[in-house]
Amino acid sequence: MHRAVRTSAVALSIAGLALAAAACGDSSGGEGVAADQKQTLTVWGMGTEGQKLAEVAARYEAQHPHITIEVTPIGWDVAHQKLVAAAAARTLPDIAQMGGTYVGEFADLGVLEPVDTTVFHQEDFFKAGWDQGVADGTAYGVPWYVDTRVLYYRTDLAEKAGITEPPATWQKLQEDAAALQQKAGSRWGIYLQPSGLDTVQSFYPFLYSAGGAVIDDSGKAAINSPAAVRAFEYYGSFFDKGLSRKSVQPGYDVTKDFNSGDVPMFFSGPWHMGILKEQYPQLDGKWAIAPVPADQSSTSMAGGSSLVISEDSEHKAAAKEFIKYLTDAESQAEWYKLTADLPANKAAWNSGDLAQSPQLQIFRQQMETAKAAPTLPNLTEITSKVDDALGAVDQGKSSAKSAADTAQSQIESLVK
Amino acid sequence: MSIPTEVAANAATRSAGPGARPPAGGPRRRRGSLGVQNLAGWLFSTPFLVLFGVFMALPIIATLLMSFTDFRLRDVTDPFHARFIGVDNYVKLFQDDKFLTALFNTAYFVVVGVPSTIVLGLLAALALNNGINRARTFFRIGFYAPVVTSIVAVAVIWRFVLDPQDGLISGLLAEIGVTAPDFLGSGALAMPSLIVMAVWRNLGTVMVLLIAGLQAIPAEVREAGRLDGVGTWQELRRITVPLLRPTLLYATVITTIGYLNVFEEPFVMTQGGPGNHTLTVSLHMYREGFNFFHMGYASAMAYVLFVVILAITALQLRLLKDNTR
Repeated sequence: MHRAVRTSAVALSIAGLALAAAACGDSSGGEGVAADQKQTLTVWGMGTEGQKLAEVAARYEAQHPHITIEVTPIGWDVAHQKLVAAAAARTLPDIAQMGGTYVGEFADLGVLEPVDTTVFHQEDFFKAGWDQGVADGTAYGVPWYVDTRVLYYRTDLAEKAGITEPPATWQKLQEDAAALQQKAGSRWGIYLQPSGLDTVQSFYPFLYSAGGAVIDDSGKAAINSPAAVRAFEYYGSFFDKGLSRKSVQPGYDVTKDFNSGDVPMFFSGPWHMGILKEQYPQLDGKWAIAPVPADQSSTSMAGGSSLVISEDSEHKAAAKEFIKYLTDAESQAEWYKLTADLPANKAAWNSGDLAQSPQLQIFRQQMETAKAAPTLPNLTEITSKVDDALGAVDQGKSSAKSAADTAQSQIESLVK
Repeated sequence: MSIPTEVAANAATRSAGPGARPPAGGPRRRRGSLGVQNLAGWLFSTPFLVLFGVFMALPIIATLLMSFTDFRLRDVTDPFHARFIGVDNYVKLFQDDKFLTALFNTAYFVVVGVPSTIVLGLLAALALNNGINRARTFFRIGFYAPVVTSIVAVAVIWRFVLDPQDGLISGLLAEIGVTAPDFLGSGALAMPSLIVMAVWRNLGTVMVLLIAGLQAIPAEVREAGRLDGVGTWQELRRITVPLLRPTLLYATVITTIGYLNVFEEPFVMTQGGPGNHTLTVSLHMYREGFNFFHMGYASAMAYVLFVVILAITALQLRLLKDNTR
């Protein structure tokens, strides 16, 4: 039976990593090649960015004939594994795109080159974007694009339920969810991820708006602070009152239910604007976005990607120039047109659609105050404890306070 | 490799006739040619041995060693930097509530799943071997198709079947006015749902094995039984099942090993949820190893699972030993 092979497959991958690591080790992190010499830069891009980056790279090559850029697109599903294997074998590309949560991990491995802060200035970028590239006080990644979560809602159903403006407070959000469920014929009032890996991402906007955090500014676990417990209670109350479904299958796609009207509200990032426009043209004009409803404040979570340079790269000077090009205001605005990724560079927002579209202004406004997740090497493990706590609260198995206390003691042992 | 050649050599000697002396100088020449044959044998088996060594033996040993260290993500750049911590991982395992839950869930899955698979597989085999004469191939393919279907496709179908709102079961229940429960969202029903799915997926393998076993039972035995006037039930109990024992043993052992390693069903259907109710040992191991990069800890878990599988298989081989010979 093929499943019997599983154990050895796991063993194999582990040993593979060890082997790869043992096989190498002779890497010179010397001065490398000067920026103006003829050379080839290797770049790994993930997901859509990886596919579109080649176009930008070709343009850059035309302007800089001595540089050849080799872009390797990598799927997000395998990105982490590939990066780890490459880090172990010391074969990371000159430049890699890294999701916000990766930087802490790879900085801890000692395979990233610190950012040259004389060239890249923190104040040019959104704070939360910059923070994602900073680990242990040192910047390793230059923010490339950012994203943040906002509220998506069905305006036609809201009208039917007698709602005239998007909910601005926690209380209004819950009232509106109930009204949509009762008066507009929606099966649910809202969609919030009930449990499973990365439920925390659905929870961050509530946690931050209540003034809480997983890890506080001094680096200590803070998931059972009064603010955090309040957020747990509020998040759980949507399930308790039957406003949000208690279980979803892995890979659940909310847009299907958004289209049918079963789920009239959900929180998501800018990518859903494109998805809704492309896949559900019949919904045009029937949905809108709004800032995260406020408790103490309206504070969302920030995501996005940074560009890092490998410590072993021999083309650091040229890599720096290419990153400089990718993150300057002008090419960031171009990049937005190509991918609809929100520019991390604030100056890019001063012209065109980025300055005019009312929807993008909501993202911009939300991005100004959004918070990035802490960049810790074991972040996934830490947030998995929050996922467990949320699952317990949503299913009514545990009170908000006791779930938060359990998560707190687990996270305390993980933060040193 | 050396055994068959020796047998062949012996056979050659014997075929020279009883009492025939080996020709002078025979033994030496034979040893020489054996050496060449051995060399050829080793050369022919080298590809396998290399692959086995690199992709099986080495990882297995590396995992064992790793299970005594605190191997973490940061050690991948320098594997010999991992700290040796003795049996700490193993001690920690048995204090880990999640691991104990996973052990319990896996045991649940095996204890309910294996007998169901074997019994239903036997029934399907009997039906196809005796009862159903028309469209036999059609039914065989029908039962076997899930075995060769990709888990991704299976997951899509089963999510539809089990969906509490617009799924197949909820639709059927709605016809008779009953509200379907949320199968995968309920702590009590999630695991049984996965077991049903696993039985459906693995029934075909057991069925094919048992059909082969059934066809190997000599017709004379059944005939003799019938002459002595045994009924259908008695024939099944006293003739079919005992004579099927070796095949049943094999089917039980491989099904048990497969079920102890259960990973795909919870991975694609529930991700271990709700609230760890479908977290199995393999899934927990995968998470610890590849999500959190506790390689040492995950390796220890792999070895505990390995020992459990070894013990249960040994026990089954003993209990279900073929006593008819």
